[in-house]
Amino acid sequence: MPYRTNVLVCAGTGCVSGNSFGVAQTLENEIRKLGLDQEVQVIRTGCQGFCAEGPIVIVQPDGIFYCGVQQKDAVYIAQEHLLKGRPVRKLLYSPPAEKKPIPALKDIPFFAKQRLVVLRNRGAIDPERIDDYIAVDGYAALVKALTEMTPEQILGEIKKSGLRGRGGGGFPTGIKWETCRKAAVSRAVDPVVVCNADEGDPGAFMDRSIIESDPHSVVEGMIIGARAIGAKEGFVYIRHEYPIARERLKKALDQAREYGLLGENIFGTMMNFDIEIVQGAGAFVCGESTALMASLEGKVGEPRAKYIHTVEYGYKNRPTNLNNVETWANVPLIINRGAEWFTSMGSGDVSENPWGGSSGTKVFSLVGKVKNTGLIEVPMGIPLREIVFDIGGGIPEGRSFKAVQTGGPSGGCLPESALDMPVDFDSLTEAGSMMGSGGMIVMDDQTCMVDVARYFIAFLTEESCGKCVPCREGLRSSLDALNRITQGTGKPDDIGLLREIGEVMQDCCLCALGTSAANPVLSTIQYFKDEYEAHINKGVCPAGVCTALIEYQIDPEKCDGCHACVHGCSTNAIIGNVKQVHFIDKEKCIKCGACVEACKRNGILKVPRSHAA
Amino acid sequence: MKTIKLKINGIETEAEDRTPILAIAEKLGIRIPTLCHHPILEPYGVCRICTVEVRVGRRIRMVTACNYPATNGIEVLTDSERVRRDRRMILEWFMSRCGHVPVIEKLAAEYGITEPRFGRGDEECILCGLCVRVCSDVVGAHALGFFNRGTTRVVSTAYDETSPKCISCGACAYVCPTGCIKIEDDEMLIRKELPLGPLTPVHIPFMQAIPHKPVIDRESCIHFKTGDCKICEKVCEVKAIDHTQTDHVDEFDVGAVILATGFKDFDPSCMPEYGYGKYKNVLTGIEFERMNSASGPTGGRILMAGGGEPKSVAIVHCVGSRDERHHKYCSRVCCMYALKFAHLIKEKTGAEVYNFYIDMRCFGKGYEEFYHRLLEEEVRFVRGRAASVSDFPLNHTEVGKLVVRVEDTLIGQVRRIPVDMVVLATGLEPQADAKDLARTLHISCGDGFFAERHPKLAPVSTATEGIFIAGVCQGPKDIPDTVAQASAAASQAQTLICMGEIEIEAATAFVNDEICSGCRICNTLCSLSAIRYDEEKKISVINDVLCKGCGTCAAACPSAAITARHFTDQQIFSEIEGVLYDVRT
Repeated sequence: MPYRTNVLVCAGTGCVSGNSFGVAQTLENEIRKLGLDQEVQVIRTGCQGFCAEGPIVIVQPDGIFYCGVQQKDAVYIAQEHLLKGRPVRKLLYSPPAEKKPIPALKDIPFFAKQRLVVLRNRGAIDPERIDDYIAVDGYAALVKALTEMTPEQILGEIKKSGLRGRGGGGFPTGIKWETCRKAAVSRAVDPVVVCNADEGDPGAFMDRSIIESDPHSVVEGMIIGARAIGAKEGFVYIRHEYPIARERLKKALDQAREYGLLGENIFGTMMNFDIEIVQGAGAFVCGESTALMASLEGKVGEPRAKYIHTVEYGYKNRPTNLNNVETWANVPLIINRGAEWFTSMGSGDVSENPWGGSSGTKVFSLVGKVKNTGLIEVPMGIPLREIVFDIGGGIPEGRSFKAVQTGGPSGGCLPESALDMPVDFDSLTEAGSMMGSGGMIVMDDQTCMVDVARYFIAFLTEESCGKCVPCREGLRSSLDALNRITQGTGKPDDIGLLREIGEVMQDCCLCALGTSAANPVLSTIQYFKDEYEAHINKGVCPAGVCTALIEYQIDPEKCDGCHACVHGCSTNAIIGNVKQVHFIDKEKCIKCGACVEACKRNGILKVPRSHAA
Repeated sequence: MKTIKLKINGIETEAEDRTPILAIAEKLGIRIPTLCHHPILEPYGVCRICTVEVRVGRRIRMVTACNYPATNGIEVLTDSERVRRDRRMILEWFMSRCGHVPVIEKLAAEYGITEPRFGRGDEECILCGLCVRVCSDVVGAHALGFFNRGTTRVVSTAYDETSPKCISCGACAYVCPTGCIKIEDDEMLIRKELPLGPLTPVHIPFMQAIPHKPVIDRESCIHFKTGDCKICEKVCEVKAIDHTQTDHVDEFDVGAVILATGFKDFDPSCMPEYGYGKYKNVLTGIEFERMNSASGPTGGRILMAGGGEPKSVAIVHCVGSRDERHHKYCSRVCCMYALKFAHLIKEKTGAEVYNFYIDMRCFGKGYEEFYHRLLEEEVRFVRGRAASVSDFPLNHTEVGKLVVRVEDTLIGQVRRIPVDMVVLATGLEPQADAKDLARTLHISCGDGFFAERHPKLAPVSTATEGIFIAGVCQGPKDIPDTVAQASAAASQAQTLICMGEIEIEAATAFVNDEICSGCRICNTLCSLSAIRYDEEKKISVINDVLCKGCGTCAAACPSAAITARHFTDQQIFSEIEGVLYDVRT
């Protein structure tokens, strides 16, 4: 029996950690109490993307968007909105600068500029029910691919679409599939298809959200791919840290098997194919294709030289086609709606050559110093500025934009001058960064670029497998130099040294982790050399981040001796009697900044380190 | 295979498609430095020192020469400025970790690095992984591996403990370019194996072996266990190794045969009273000899099973010899080799040495003098056959020792002497198959040792013409005697060969065709197999060359068809008549 109203409660990881399951439970209880359980249905959906405002509840068909919903608010929503039909005003979303709330989802700027393709079903269906997916044309592409198209036609369609790998490299998917198929046919070996869900970039969660909100789209894409390539076996390599995604994917596979979409003789077409979930242990390097395959085989996840490609000799020396979650999720739509529809989105011209441009959309996780953090999907080629300022809502607290870091830890930092650049594979690479898997970290003027580079290099040093010398030792020596600079002991030739280390690493490292590991350093040197010079030559951190180069001082004009800072200080570094001006003992101060937070009069200042000290 | 054309440093060359650049460069005599590469292992490509510049059209790539497969039309630069810069930086990184490793220092000097910019580290291991790969890919022992990740990566055994998987083959130390893997002589490990120690699978059987060539021991060769390895095949430049070889029988036509089949060492396992096989520190003479050998498992050191040198050693004489239960004869050599052992033990360890003897048989030149020298060295001699060896203590001085029980016939008392080690002076016995061999060659064989034709007049000849004997197969003797006898046998054989033709016995038997009934009684009787049965004529025929005219067949022939020439009945009767002539008259 159809329901009058559907209440969609976001059950993505972000909202779940904000207790969205509790909200959903309360809503259900309340609806039952009010006797509306025949009219109103609560659905737990995948991630809505607007994670900054979670937990999120949407009431359909009105399209009313509630944000920051707590368990106690759920009672209001049930009583006011569901029973009496009056939207709860205080839970509606209001843009930071405006007072007037925006009740409807479609009017919120965060959503308005997005183009949902891969994420089309996010927040619209229950990811744990295959019927929901089928109801929105799910598996229609599979029927078409299996019953109406030959593998060659599928390959042709994918090639024509210009789809490029969403995992970061941007290799044309159609060409990859075709090479894999040819290798399998010429060697008469069964090929394998693998889905890379080992998303390890700090601040990136696109793949997790796709699997959490629409696991069947990935499954469908993989079956179509297997048909095109001729594979009987498929794997999803997913990291151990994604329990919800793994659980939903497992359910999706079980349901697909039950419906005869996986297993033997799919749709009576004599096609046999099944997918197995393999858990990674969370090593960042296992996202690299050869390391991933070593890990799949049960070996230590270390990369090997890729002069012989994995599409020819991959998993257990079989031709192996590895694609990212998002790439697989794009496949059903291309088959369903055609390559022309796909190429109508994006930049460049891919009709002749897939390397000629970037078609389709890309999912980004927009995080950092931006008002609306969350998951977004935009057409390729959209200017960076639109992402940061229109969708992201700009920089909070009235600060100014400094840089945006794209492509994960191996990506680069782009300055304000690059904001009007279109976001696609080739433009980003040209600017010294990369698409990566789609992490986007926005930084404001209070971010020290040397410290950012140091953070990413420290992360990569931790995550380097240590197999090849340039990566292992290059990262260590870069980190040493960056530590020196951020501690004010940098040498004038350190910038040149860092640049040389970076160039040699780009030349000589064994895998992509190493060759791209220098990007954070090289791109920050390229665009923010003045900051490096300030650190080295003047001993000053312009953003006031590097603790060794700053110190805290109490402004005697503002200090009224309230003693709040003394209570906030964990090392007893602040001296002073009540109602008298306080002082900071520089010997004891660990520069944690707790006093700044504690002071109600903004009387504690962060100043450059005095050289006398 | 497709042939491709490429350019290395401007030199045009041809190669098989997808050959690694390193191999092509080596053929041209162009040196590319390597650290993690070894010809017997698959390329690993981690040291990156073999980085070269490859130009494909207008595209420039930096690749590792060890594993980059060459394709048609590429241009390789092995020493361009960019290559040198990259290698310099890599070497500086190596030095930041291993600043004092000679192989790195040498390469760094070649690239003009005097003071590395990242300092010098004290590590010895460069993490090239050769040891790990040789252990798993070639040896198949999987005892070594990489542990930790990134900057904390190390090579080790599981849990950093002595690995039970390690077979002590030493392959890891052999391939290590920095020498940071060392093989330690573990006394426990050495003696835990056979007392004689393990032999390497490829070895020359013994120092004097002819031909002086190595053999592969199927029992211990990794290839015959796992099907892998074949490392010897890879390193042998002349391709002399063939794992598919099997034993085969060759036939030779010869004019003379010298038998020098030697002896078998007496196995004292059948004498439970001495505890051989039960106590690890009870050794036979040959085992102790092997331990004393500088090329032996302990490098010539005298060690007990539990490690450490013995404080006292007993030498039991006449084990298996002069014994009603085993061999009645004296083995002749044991007294003297036992004295040699006693001397070596004194010299190497200074331990107390006891000899338990029946009689000291120090015959011949210099032997008695040696015995007297040992008396002066204070080696103990106890006259009396040792009764038993046990580890059962009767007082505190015997705890943890082997106790030799003996009746000292000079003082007429039973004594118990505690020692750390017992050496059994085992005797010599004939080879187990000596009798079969004797039958094949038609020579006689008394108690297992081959019999000479005459003890004084023909000491190296046998009953069969052209077959000579030398050494212990004829009877127990020491090395000088064996060498003398062997020389004699050789010259006898030589005499035969030099003559070119041989005189055969005139007095042979012959069969009268008319009378022979073909009963074949003679065939089996002839000890020289000189009679064969002619299937066509249905009679027996005697081979004149083989027949020695012994007359056995003639006497046995029921139809008197065989006559021994010069010893016919008629002649014998005439002789008798001649002898009795005077008597009659």
